[in-house]
Amino acid sequence: MRQRSLIAITAALSAGALTLTACGSRDSGGDKGSDSGGTTVTIGVDAPLTGDLSALGLGIKNSVDLAAKTANKQKTVDGVTFKIVAKDDQAQPSAGQQNATALVADKTVLGVVGPLNSSVAESMQKVFDDAKLVEVSPANTNPALTQGTDWATTKKRPYTSYFRTATTDAIQGPFAAQYVFNDAKKKKVFVIDDKKTYGAGLAGTFTEEFKKLGGTVVGTEHINPDSKDFSAVATKVKNSGAEAVYYGGEYPQAGPLSKQIKAAGAKIPLIGGDGIYADDFIKLAGATATGDLATSVGAPVEELDSAKEFVANYKAAGYKEAYGAYGGYAYDSAWSIIEAVKKVVDDNGGKLPDDARAKITAATQNVSFDGVTGKVSFDEFGDATNKQLTVYAVENGAWKAVKSGTYSG
Amino acid sequence: MSGVGPIEPGEGTHAWDTHPAEPPAGTPAPPRTPPARLRRLLSDHRRAALAALTTVGLLAACALLYVTRPQEREPAIPEPPFPAQVVDVTYVGEHTVPPGTRPHTLAFEVLLSVDSGPPVTVTRVSQPYAGVSLTSAPRAPFRTKAGSARKIVVTMHVAECGKVPENAGLPFIDVTLRNKRAIQVQSFILGPRYAHDLSRALQVACSNDST
Repeated sequence: MRQRSLIAITAALSAGALTLTACGSRDSGGDKGSDSGGTTVTIGVDAPLTGDLSALGLGIKNSVDLAAKTANKQKTVDGVTFKIVAKDDQAQPSAGQQNATALVADKTVLGVVGPLNSSVAESMQKVFDDAKLVEVSPANTNPALTQGTDWATTKKRPYTSYFRTATTDAIQGPFAAQYVFNDAKKKKVFVIDDKKTYGAGLAGTFTEEFKKLGGTVVGTEHINPDSKDFSAVATKVKNSGAEAVYYGGEYPQAGPLSKQIKAAGAKIPLIGGDGIYADDFIKLAGATATGDLATSVGAPVEELDSAKEFVANYKAAGYKEAYGAYGGYAYDSAWSIIEAVKKVVDDNGGKLPDDARAKITAATQNVSFDGVTGKVSFDEFGDATNKQLTVYAVENGAWKAVKSGTYSG
Repeated sequence: MSGVGPIEPGEGTHAWDTHPAEPPAGTPAPPRTPPARLRRLLSDHRRAALAALTTVGLLAACALLYVTRPQEREPAIPEPPFPAQVVDVTYVGEHTVPPGTRPHTLAFEVLLSVDSGPPVTVTRVSQPYAGVSLTSAPRAPFRTKAGSARKIVVTMHVAECGKVPENAGLPFIDVTLRNKRAIQVQSFILGPRYAHDLSRALQVACSNDST
């Protein structure tokens, strides 16, 4: 009898367990592993991962990582698993060049995303171009990188392996000037830059357009980016009678500069480019940053449905650092390389050819897809065809979009 | 009652005589025990009852898991895109001003296209310079459907040459766009050809300036 009882209970438990197995599946389509086997393709990342600008650099690195993982999960390229290797350039051209050499030496690297700084890009372009290794920057805005040093008069592409997803300062500077002169109604500005490729270039394109509009530049100064004491410059600004300050440079200097200008008694806005469009600028500049302005590449994230998906996936991936101003552009940069790899593999019977780097560089020129930041493709210079810009103002301790523009020339 | 009858009530019968007599007043109530019928039932069919209870328990757990499973998201109806993300405005060229038009007037053609989404209504076209007024043909508001483009003639009248930049590098026009999602003012920077044509037209309009 005891045996019969045991059999009955065992049978009931088994039936129940089977039923539970059948009906209780909680598979929600989660990550089932990303290694699809086959060939491994490395996407290099170069950005400042330490130092003052690391907030932006780490956002770039994480966003490229997210793109690689997404491609692996979706098996975007059959037989290819993507991984990333990230190098820290510390925002220094010399470190960037060493990183470029190391990335070229790694034969699994078939594309590179980066760098953040235009000055660093200048030191890397030739190294990559000699190796026919494609480089896609999410953040460089200096026009000369794609259109040559005489870009204002004669555009000539210096390196065919260099692309970028960010809009150039040839548009950003004038757009800022138009906003300052026409919308903010500021007719007298004091222009300051950090003497670097990005900062000096941006200040130059702003100044030229501001003067053409009829504005007056009441003073100019250069600062040392290694310093945090700008009190002498702040006094000059105060005494100049300027109605606004335009700063070509990055937030580690722009924040203290804004604070010290206000402390000197000049209650006027500081305006900058994408290099100051960071939460850290507001932290450094303090409460008096209200009313400061920044232009940045692209449309506001909240306008882009594709960006919302990126933001949700980035959050779900659990990265410690924010994706920052260039996260979406870094994701799109990485995805343009992934699309190029896919094209090359598909055209070669499902395998990478021997001259994969050259073919991937050529394929990148023709990619076209709907990315995080909108339609992603490149023009004959390697510049993004999607040229949108937004003016942001500091309000209640945060950046708020106040005007957006589209370049359609 | 005689007490004669089935030990257990059969179908449709009732054991009226199985209830104990009422205790005398003041006697403490006996502890509650399962009815004799249930006791006998459990005693005689213990194994089957246990098996049945286990099965019921498992089925209940299964039902709970099913009810609380991660829900497949209903495919949300996608919101229409923001109008600025689907509209493009490109420069076509200069437009000849009809004879008899008042002096200091210049006109250009632009092409407005809507890529996708619901129709987009242009509610205003303007330009940023203080000394210039602007009208458009067709006059705003006008609607454009996705997949189509519309030529717009932008006519500017220079009211005060002193407030007009004659050599702007990247001039733009502001277009207020509306669709089911939002109303947005977007600046369309029309590029170097527009900048060149605008500068030349402004210089002509303001030469021999009398305004």
